[in-house]
Amino acid sequence: MKRRWLKRRTLLRGLLGGTSVAVALPLLETMLSTNGDALAGGGGLPTRFGWWFFGNGVHADKWVPDGQGPSWELSPEMAALASVKDEVTVVSGLKVYLPNTVPHGSGPAGILTGGPLGVVGDSFGNSSLGGKTLDQIVADEIGNDTRFKSIEVAVERSDSSLSYAASGQTNPPEYSPAALFERVFGGSFVEPGDEPIIDPKLSLRRSVLDAVSDDALSLTKRLGAADKLRMEQHFDNIRTLEKQLAKLEEDPPSLAACSKPQQPLDDYPDQNGEPQMSAISRAMSDLIAMILACDQTRVFSVQFSRPVSNVLYPGVSAGHHQLTHDELGEQPQVQQIIGQTMEELAYFLNALRSVDEGVDTLLGNTAVLCFSDCSFGKSHAIDNYPLLVAGGGGGTLNKGIHYKSPAAENASKLGFSLLRAMGIATTEFGSDEGYVTEGIADIES
Amino acid sequence: MESIIGSHRERNTLYCTRPGAFVGGSLQVGKVLIGAFFCALSTAVSCVGEDGEEPVSWPDVAVDPTPVVLKRLTKAQYSNSILDLVGEDIAVPISLEPDAAVDGFLVVGGSKSSISALGVERYETAAHDIAEQAMSSSSIREALVPCVPAGDSDASCSEAFVQSFGRRAFRRPLTDEETTRYVGVAVEAANKLGDFHQGLAFAMAGLLQSPHFLFRIELGESADGRLAYTDYEMATRLSYFLWNTTPDDELLDAAEAGSLADEAGLAKQVDRMLASPKAREGLRNFFYERFALHELDDLVKDGDIFTSMSAELGPAAREETLSAVEDLVFDRDADYRTIFTSRKTFVDRRLASLYDVPAPDLEQFAATMLPADGPRAGLLGHASVLALHAHSTSTSATLRGKFIRVVLLCMVIPPPPADVDTSLPEANETFPTLRDRIAQHNNDPACASCHSVLDPIGLGLEQFDGIGQFRLDENDATIDPSGDLDGVTFAGAVQLGEAIAQHDEVGRCLTRHLYRYAIGTTETKAEAALLDQLGEQFEHDGHRIKALMRRIALSDGFRFAQEAP
Repeated sequence: MKRRWLKRRTLLRGLLGGTSVAVALPLLETMLSTNGDALAGGGGLPTRFGWWFFGNGVHADKWVPDGQGPSWELSPEMAALASVKDEVTVVSGLKVYLPNTVPHGSGPAGILTGGPLGVVGDSFGNSSLGGKTLDQIVADEIGNDTRFKSIEVAVERSDSSLSYAASGQTNPPEYSPAALFERVFGGSFVEPGDEPIIDPKLSLRRSVLDAVSDDALSLTKRLGAADKLRMEQHFDNIRTLEKQLAKLEEDPPSLAACSKPQQPLDDYPDQNGEPQMSAISRAMSDLIAMILACDQTRVFSVQFSRPVSNVLYPGVSAGHHQLTHDELGEQPQVQQIIGQTMEELAYFLNALRSVDEGVDTLLGNTAVLCFSDCSFGKSHAIDNYPLLVAGGGGGTLNKGIHYKSPAAENASKLGFSLLRAMGIATTEFGSDEGYVTEGIADIES
Repeated sequence: MESIIGSHRERNTLYCTRPGAFVGGSLQVGKVLIGAFFCALSTAVSCVGEDGEEPVSWPDVAVDPTPVVLKRLTKAQYSNSILDLVGEDIAVPISLEPDAAVDGFLVVGGSKSSISALGVERYETAAHDIAEQAMSSSSIREALVPCVPAGDSDASCSEAFVQSFGRRAFRRPLTDEETTRYVGVAVEAANKLGDFHQGLAFAMAGLLQSPHFLFRIELGESADGRLAYTDYEMATRLSYFLWNTTPDDELLDAAEAGSLADEAGLAKQVDRMLASPKAREGLRNFFYERFALHELDDLVKDGDIFTSMSAELGPAAREETLSAVEDLVFDRDADYRTIFTSRKTFVDRRLASLYDVPAPDLEQFAATMLPADGPRAGLLGHASVLALHAHSTSTSATLRGKFIRVVLLCMVIPPPPADVDTSLPEANETFPTLRDRIAQHNNDPACASCHSVLDPIGLGLEQFDGIGQFRLDENDATIDPSGDLDGVTFAGAVQLGEAIAQHDEVGRCLTRHLYRYAIGTTETKAEAALLDQLGEQFEHDGHRIKALMRRIALSDGFRFAQEAP
C-alpha cells in the first residue's frame, strides 16, 4: 500500500505551539490548479448530489411563484429563500402519474424511484418504497471513491428515511448531530495535510471484516432468491466498511476548505413537547457542509421532517399533520410551518454556499432536490408537485429560474434530469406510469 | 373529481362497509359474511371442552408452512443475546440497526430487510466494544475462555475459545472452516498486539458480526416433501419465540442430543422454557411489539394542554401495560380477554396521580385495584394505549378506533383515499365535542365507509384525554362516550372493554398475532386451517396464553417449512 503523507500540519503545530487553526489553509490552496477549479493532482472538484425533504406538502396558491424563466418572484411560502433565490430553481406543475394509493407514500415513491410503492400498506397499514432511490442510484455512480458512499440524516427523530438501498430496505438516518459528528469526524478522522494514524487495530478490524464477509459469501450459496439478495446486500455493505476503514490509512482528500467542524451539543432535548427542529437542523447543516467539503461523501439526504410528520412547532396549536387536515381557511398555521421549514432549507443552502471551492462554492458543485410527500397536505394530492432544485450541480444545472410545466409533465422527468446532471448517461427513469425517457431541458445546463 | 371519489367509494365498499368482511387479514373477502355464522357454530363446538378437558382429539390439519426466511435479530434480541452470551455486566451498545415493524411486528420486519450500510458500521462498533469489555474483565474472561494460554499466540487455546463461544453465538457448532477462519483472526491479532486475550477479542468481535449471529439462519432439511427445521434451528426458534433471547446451554445440549425433532423431547423443553422466568420476558416482548410500546419513548404531547405530561410518562405507561400482561399470563394464568375488563393494574406514583388512585409508597411499580365502579378498567384505560393513539394536542377517535379494529380485532383498514377534504370543523359552541365535529366530517360517504367502523368505537374512549387523564367535559359540554361495537351497545369505556372481550374475533386475533410473532414472518393463506384450529384450541383452553404458546411451539407450522421461492 502506498504511504505518502504530508507533515505540514505537524510542522506548523510545532512552530506555532499547537495553534494550527487556519494556518494550513493557504498552503493547501496551492494544491489547487492555477485556475482553481480542479485539484492539482488532475481530478476536477467533486460533484455532489443530495435531497432535502419535508413532510405534509404546501398550498399551491401560496407556493407556486409568479413569473417564469429567469424573472420570477418568491411566493409567500418560500419567502425565506430570499438569500439563496439565485441558487434555487423552482419546478412547478409536474405531476406524479402513479396511482395515489397511500397518502404521503405514493408521492415520495414517484419522485425518488419514479415507480409505485413496493408494499402498499401491510395488514397494519405500513408501506415501503419499491426500489433504489435517486440518491442511491447516484451513489452507485459517484459514491465509490469516498469514505462513505452516502450519508443519511434526519432532523425529526426517525429510524427510517426515504433513502432506499433496495425495495423494502431503508437507509436509517442519523438523527443525532453528536452521533453524526462522531461517525465522521471522531476517532481516526484525519484533516488534509495531517498524517494518517497507522493504528494496527485498523488493519485487524479489516481482517475481522474479511472473515465476516467470507461467512456471508458462503452463506449466499445456500439461500433462496430473496434471501440471497438480502445477504448479497449485506456482503456488499461489509466490503464497503472494509474500504471505509482502509481510507483512514490513506492520505485524506486534500480539499482546501476542509477542517474538522465544531463538535455539536450532545443532546437537543424536546422543550415542552416540541423538538428543537431549528437548532438540530442547523447543527446538521453545518456538519453536512463540512462532510462534503472534506469529501467524506458525495451523496447525502436530509429528512427535515418525516412523511406525515406531526411535529409540534413553536407557536402553533397542534401537530403539523393534524393541522394540515383540521385547520380551516387558508391554514395560516400550516403556512407558518412551511415558512419556518424554508428558513431551515435556506440555512442549509447557505451553509453549502459559504464553503469556497475554487472559483465556485460547494453549493455550486452540488445539486439538491427539495421536495415533500404530497402537493397539498389536506387532500394528499400529487399533482402540481412542490419541487425545488438548488445548486449548480458542478455547472450542469440552470440556477435561479422558475420552470412552470406547460402541461402537467410527468414528475419523473426531474429525476431523469438530475441523473443526467450527475453524469449518469441514462436513457430512462421510473416504471409503470412513472416511466420516462427524457428530462426537462430548460433546467439542464 | 366525481369519478375519483366514485372509485374510492367502490374500494372502500370492498373493505369497509361490511364490518365482517375484513376481519382476519388474509381471509378472503367473500367468505367472511358467512363467517359470523360459522363463528357461532365453532363456539358451540368448543363449548364441549370448556371444563378444560381435551376433546377426544384434535383432527390433523393440513398446513403448508411458511417458506424459510432469514430473520435479523431485533435490537432487543441482540441485546438479550449479548447479555446471555457474554455476561450480565456488559453495557450493550444501543446504537444498532433500527427495527421496523412489518405486519405489526418488529420480528417480522427483521424477516423482510437486510442490514443497511449504517447498520453494518454500528454492529462493527458494537462488536468491538463488547469484545473489549469482555476481555478486559477477568471474571468474564474466566467464564468464557476454557483454557490457560501457553503464550501470546496459543492456537489451540484460541481454538477452544472460538469453538465454545462460537457454538453459543451461532447457536450451533462451528464448521471446521469457520473455526479456522476465526482462530486465524485471533492468532493474527494476538501476534500483532502481543496479547493473547486481545487476540480473542478480535475473534469474538468477528463472531458477533457474522451473519450467523446477526441473522437467524433456519434453512431446514428435506423431510417427506417439506422441510423440517433441524434440532439446532428448533432450539433457536423456541428460544427467540419463548424467551426473546439466544438458547441456553441446556437447549443447545438438547439439540445436540437430537431430542428437539420428536414431539416428546420438544414438549419437555417447551415446558421447561415456559416455566423459566425468561418466558416472562418473552411474553412482555410480544406485547411490547404488538402494541408498539417502543413508540412511547417518543411521545409528543403539548405540556400546556396536558399538564401532567413529562418525559417519564411514556416509559411508565409502558411498564404498566407490560406488568399487567405478565401478571395476567404468568402470575394468574387468567383468560386473555380479562385484560380488557380487569380492575387490577400496576402504577408508579406518576400513574397513580394521573389515574387518581392511591400512590405506592416507594418509587416503583405496585399492583393496585382501580375503583370497581370507576370509569377506568382494562387495557383501554391504560395511559399507554390512550396516549399512543391520540394527537399531540388532542384525542383521536379515529386512531383509537383503528387500534381496536386493527390491533385487537385483526381487521384490515385501507389507507384513507386521496383527494378528499379531510378537515374537521373547529371546536365552537355548535360543535363543542369531538363527537359533534366528527358527525359533520362523516357526511362524505367516501370517508364515512371507513370512519364509521373506527370513530364510533374510538368515541367510547373520549372521557380520557390525549394522555389518558379522565374528564367529563370538552369545551364545557358533557362528553357522550356511548356507542356500539358490531351490534353490542356500550355506555362508555368500561362497557366497550367488555364488548371487546366478548367479540368473536378477539381470541382469534390474538392467536393470529402470536403465531405470526412465533414464526417471525407473515403467515400465508395456506396456514388458515391451522390458525382456525389454534383459535379453537385457545378458546377450549379458556383463552390461556401460556397454553397457546405451548400449542404453537408444538404445531407443524412452527416445526416445518417449505423451500423459499
